[in-house]
Amino acid sequence: MKRAGRWLVLALAPLATACAGVAEADLAPDPQRRGPQGRTAQFVVECGRSHYAFDDPIVAPGLPGASHQHQFFGNTQVDADADYEDVTGAVTTCDQPLDTASYWTPTLLDPTGKLVEPHGLTAYYRVGSGIDPAEVEPYPAGLMMVAGDPGADAAQPVEIVAWSCGSGAVRESVPPECPSDSTLRMVVTFPDCWDGQRLNGFGSGAHVRYSDNACPEGFPVAVPQLTVAVDFPPVDPDGLSLSSGSMLTGHADFWNVWDQDKLEREVTACLNRDVVCGVSL
Amino acid sequence: MFRCDQRPASGALIDQTDSVRTTRTLVPALLAGGLVVAACGGDGDGDTTSNSTTSTGTAEATATVDASSSPTTDGLTPSSSNSGGDGTIDGVVFVPGDADTIQAGVDMAAPGEIVLISPGTYEESVDVTTDDITIRGLDRAGVILDGDFALDNGIRALGVSNVAIENLTVQRFVNNGVFWTGVDGYRGSYLTSYLNGEYGIYAFDSVNGRIDNSYASGSAGAGLYVGQCYPCNGLVDSSHAEYNGLGYQGTNSGGDMTVSNSRFNNNRVGIFPNSGSYELCYPQRETVFSDNTIDNNNEGSAPSISFSAEWIGNGIITPGGIGNVIENNAVSDHDRVGIALVPFVERFPNDDLPTESDWLSNCTDAREEPLPEIIPDELVWESFDTVVTGNRVSDSGQADLMVTSIDMPTEDLRNCWSDNVFTTSQPAQIEQLAPCDGEGSGDWSIDAFDIAEWQAERIDLPPALSSMDADIPPPPADLPNMPDAQVVDTD
Repeated sequence: MKRAGRWLVLALAPLATACAGVAEADLAPDPQRRGPQGRTAQFVVECGRSHYAFDDPIVAPGLPGASHQHQFFGNTQVDADADYEDVTGAVTTCDQPLDTASYWTPTLLDPTGKLVEPHGLTAYYRVGSGIDPAEVEPYPAGLMMVAGDPGADAAQPVEIVAWSCGSGAVRESVPPECPSDSTLRMVVTFPDCWDGQRLNGFGSGAHVRYSDNACPEGFPVAVPQLTVAVDFPPVDPDGLSLSSGSMLTGHADFWNVWDQDKLEREVTACLNRDVVCGVSL
Repeated sequence: MFRCDQRPASGALIDQTDSVRTTRTLVPALLAGGLVVAACGGDGDGDTTSNSTTSTGTAEATATVDASSSPTTDGLTPSSSNSGGDGTIDGVVFVPGDADTIQAGVDMAAPGEIVLISPGTYEESVDVTTDDITIRGLDRAGVILDGDFALDNGIRALGVSNVAIENLTVQRFVNNGVFWTGVDGYRGSYLTSYLNGEYGIYAFDSVNGRIDNSYASGSAGAGLYVGQCYPCNGLVDSSHAEYNGLGYQGTNSGGDMTVSNSRFNNNRVGIFPNSGSYELCYPQRETVFSDNTIDNNNEGSAPSISFSAEWIGNGIITPGGIGNVIENNAVSDHDRVGIALVPFVERFPNDDLPTESDWLSNCTDAREEPLPEIIPDELVWESFDTVVTGNRVSDSGQADLMVTSIDMPTEDLRNCWSDNVFTTSQPAQIEQLAPCDGEGSGDWSIDAFDIAEWQAERIDLPPALSSMDADIPPPPADLPNMPDAQVVDTD
């Protein structure tokens, strides 16, 4: 596959530096994407946790164990050495068997450093605010993105990385104090405009940007706006950390290794037609 | 495909007034032993309900297919202008025949046409993006869409108008069996849904439609669902839901909405109209539930999501429902309550509570409403303004009739009860406290129920269960075929 092959070349490049995602406040997605589902077009996939690894096929490709710990959802074959052809068609932990994409985030650690096992991840694919639904295109095969800044030392915009109790609309930059029987959720929203050329990139040189009622110059291709929500069991927020550092370093990674025909079908049927193809409670 | 050059105007596919579809564009007429297709070319007002092979005196032509053969164009006698001379029939797409798959047939169909499916098992998901089409199985039990717990939806109609789905079975899909979303004008008739993971027969954000003569079992969400619409102008009639998490669910739906003449049994809960800000168009309101039979909805072995599981043992329960009418139902044998008007506590909501004036807002307006600056940690959706009358309620473990509240005095909710046949209620003497036809009197505190008791019981209830893991009976063998399923009039 032509696009996948291009990514393979990129993946061999030394990308372990400047690994921040897109976090500029003035590029934050519209906060109205919170609130009731059913307001805007979307399709939704729910995924169980697949595996843990100190791997990052975006930031540290080909370097097993070189990353902070990640929890992977979806595609079960993704690791530091994975290439597109290897993982295409792999088994998935998602309820949509053709969603063989890979989603990964840092792990959540309690004050003793013990891992807090997530319940699962929900992926919401929507249309960026102000974007014409008919203009949204599927991600190119093999596209990789990072959202949020793994090196952040200050609060990130809650429109990009946020925490909430349950699935409520109230978003905080660090985990709030939730009732003792409430789940904790990390919500990360990815950029929705692509430069139309590259399959990978980071920080100011990233290949993707957030829309602001339109895609910015140089990033003309509207793609789905992906928001991932990772749910954790009830946990005391005091003393929590992420495997990437403090609780301010929340981020998420996405690799488009979907079944590409199915992804195109969902974008066409749901987003382009501006209808709600599913909700997640 | 050979197509008619002129077709009647579309848009009349869904007729709310008749129990069986009556349309000008496509009208079935049963003919013993033969498949008859009345083709286009008529004068526009012919008798579309004729049961005869003879044309109705108009210029309509007919063609006959041997019903004993595969109902493709094989065997067609192209006796008139309805045939393209190549074995096709105007306005009809045969699967297989014209198309190898249902999806290919649907993609081939033009507005006003019908996709006619031969018996067989079809392992595919079908998306419908064409207005004004009908998808019909020639045999309800024999035309099976099977997801094998690997495909997401059986048939999905997306942002279209006037799509009818008839006389077939959908089973074992991960998400939904038959699903209309963003549709204006839908109908599901003589459908069988079995073991579909979320919802069986499901209309969301869709208006002007009906589900009739259908059966749904084994869905963890609900067997039958109409949600996020106001006014819905919808009808669920003469249908049957059993062994689901909820027999019927109507989240944030209502307005010219009726659920009638149907049976809901052996689900975890029978009928469940509810409000919540997790989806748009709240509150749930203005739905009539009449002449239904609701019994034994205590079934812990039915598949269920966790949301539904905690409400087990109730016949009709309206968490946060407003302005509903519950009348002339037969409700029996529930571990908890026959008919319960209760609040729904929504933790970590997505909006604030609507005011009473907001209750009249339609969904289109609601879509544009900005979120408030401050969103509470919790909403309490009380059940208001519901009329409970003429029901026969018996053998309830806790109470036949019940109402309770959290944030307001129960007597201020303006609900009423009259002419019900029942034995027990919470509070006691409920028809004296709030009759529908006069002033009430009495003490609301006698036998009043505190819903916190159910919260405390949650840990002991049967847990959630997926459709894939459920062990429930197969659909009844005697579910009827749609009358006239083998005859179409494409005038």
